[in-house]
Amino acid sequence: MGGDGLGLAQVQFALTAGTHFLFVALTLGLATLVALMQTRAVVSGGAVHERMVRFWGQLYVVNYAVGIVTGLVMEFQFGLNWSGMSRVTGSVFGAPLALETIVAFFVESTFLGLWIFGWDRLNRWVHLGLIWVVTLTAYLSAYFVLVANGWLQRPVGFEMVGGVARLTDAGALLTNPTAVVAFFHVLFGGLLTAGFFVAGVSGYHLLRRTAEVEFFRRSMRVGLVTVIVSVMPVVIFGGMQFEYVQPTKSGGHDAAAAVADFTARFGPDDYTPPGLTDVGAGLMMGMWSLMILVAAVALVKVWFGRWLVRGRVFHILMIASVPLPYVAMLSGWVFREVGRQPWTVYGVLKTRDALSPGVGSGALAASFVVFTVLFAGLFVVNGWLLARFARRGPGGAGLGGSPPADPADPVEPPVLSPTF
Amino acid sequence: MESLAVVLLAVFSAGYLVLAGADVGVGMLLPWLGRDERERRLVIASFAPFFLGNEVWLVAAAGLAAGAFPGLEHELLTELYPLFVVLLVGWVVRDMGLWLRGRVDAAAWRVVWDGAVVAGSWALALAWGSVLGSVLGGGGLNAGSVLGLPLALVFAWHGAGFARWRLPVGLAGRAARVGGVPSRYGVSAVVLAVAPVVAGVRLPWSESAADGAGLTMTAVVTVVVLPLLVAAQALVWWTFRGRVESPSYL
Repeated sequence: MGGDGLGLAQVQFALTAGTHFLFVALTLGLATLVALMQTRAVVSGGAVHERMVRFWGQLYVVNYAVGIVTGLVMEFQFGLNWSGMSRVTGSVFGAPLALETIVAFFVESTFLGLWIFGWDRLNRWVHLGLIWVVTLTAYLSAYFVLVANGWLQRPVGFEMVGGVARLTDAGALLTNPTAVVAFFHVLFGGLLTAGFFVAGVSGYHLLRRTAEVEFFRRSMRVGLVTVIVSVMPVVIFGGMQFEYVQPTKSGGHDAAAAVADFTARFGPDDYTPPGLTDVGAGLMMGMWSLMILVAAVALVKVWFGRWLVRGRVFHILMIASVPLPYVAMLSGWVFREVGRQPWTVYGVLKTRDALSPGVGSGALAASFVVFTVLFAGLFVVNGWLLARFARRGPGGAGLGGSPPADPADPVEPPVLSPTF
Repeated sequence: MESLAVVLLAVFSAGYLVLAGADVGVGMLLPWLGRDERERRLVIASFAPFFLGNEVWLVAAAGLAAGAFPGLEHELLTELYPLFVVLLVGWVVRDMGLWLRGRVDAAAWRVVWDGAVVAGSWALALAWGSVLGSVLGGGGLNAGSVLGLPLALVFAWHGAGFARWRLPVGLAGRAARVGGVPSRYGVSAVVLAVAPVVAGVRLPWSESAADGAGLTMTAVVTVVVLPLLVAAQALVWWTFRGRVESPSYL
């Protein structure tokens, strides 16, 4: 297998993981906000809160679908393209992935089905409980995935026996700081993404002066508060990770020592990460600087309802800010993952050795083309749908059957009226 | 610990084939069970609340295989690379069809995504037939890869058995027979549950088992949470028992 196969498999994984994460970031944060909105709706019984759950829940569900299918493909891609990794380190790396699917994703998906289809059919407290289980298992899922990823960054709790890694200390694996700190970084990053998303969509409706002023004033406040609450923790948990960053990524004296050590143990190679790493780091921090400025504006605006409804520049600013956390998230992953190269498991297994040996470049190229076209299509269709549902406002939500009457929608009554 | 993991993997694989096999089968039969837009929406509503909770069995089985038998996972996937690519593409196309069909109220849109559901369901069933045939035929792509293809029809038969229960009385009659064979959910369920066990007997488990604390942690945690998973699934079945009377969110 030539270098082309390696490059293709790497780009394929990066595209799958990148698409997956773009949608997952919003899923994590938006699930939390929808759960909070539904709690408010159930406790207060207010119609506007109930409609907020349906509208933002609809966007959450459209978004969730892409996360799920890209996640499925990613799970199988480890075995398809990166069998070297399962051969050498599968006994360790596979465990958190197994726990993710069984303990977290299984429950998350089953309960999400109940939440979507059980609307108006289940007791409202039970229905509220479902979205909280979905939210908490989504976080549990993120934690296990980051345990797996954190081990690639900083392998701990294992020994090598006959060239194969063997887990010796499950506690060390599960409490690896590169996993735990990264989890909180991602948690607040997801909330930041959802906060900007909710504020941006609300800004659009307030700018256009649609009929739903109260609805989007409330939503705008939810979005801004979320942004204000998460913008500092995300950078704090981001910064804490530098303590554990790999020496070859941080540079300086430690880097030279690490390269000397690797050369002695694994032979000469280029052990410095590609230049793209620094681009990722710079872009991520640049986006954060912009977000803290927007958060400062939010801090001024958030106190008075009238101030949220007015201000065209403010509304345009919030719409324009929606991509900021997405760019930050993706460049953060570039910094983390590209910066680990040429290693898949840092200091244990090189990426080139992790590639499946038996798979010809032809099969890999074919699967690359198929999945890239498929995901590009999904990305476009779902992006379009998200924008469409966001634009149509609360009247257009299909979740939970017939929402409270909305006279603004002149579409002829549907022949079928869903009852759940 | 290793035998425990094999048993667990059998449970999850059989769980997937029995539960998801039914909704894949209904997807394959969609053009026959639902002859117009209204009927097709009802047919999809018959399994809509279940499909998310069904496919997680396979995700969990794959996760379990990765955690407990990493060697086997990569061997199977690498040897049968083209089949698994078809399987995944079919799965993704089918799921997107399900998620998207109800989201835009236009006839052409629904036709496209109904087509995706049908094509994806067939691709998925054929790929599974071929994968099971290949494993039974001795591993790698072999005569069994082709001979296994008719197994896809078991999915359709199983789907008909499920549809007979769930569709409104007027439509359920169409699912009573598939190609002249009476549909019986219980019988097809046993066939689908036994298939992975029979295929699995031929696989080299001990050579590929994970080593050390990773295997123990995976197996023990799975045993502990399994009752909870079954209870969650039972709640879904209890909530959506009986015949479907109206369309759902999909």
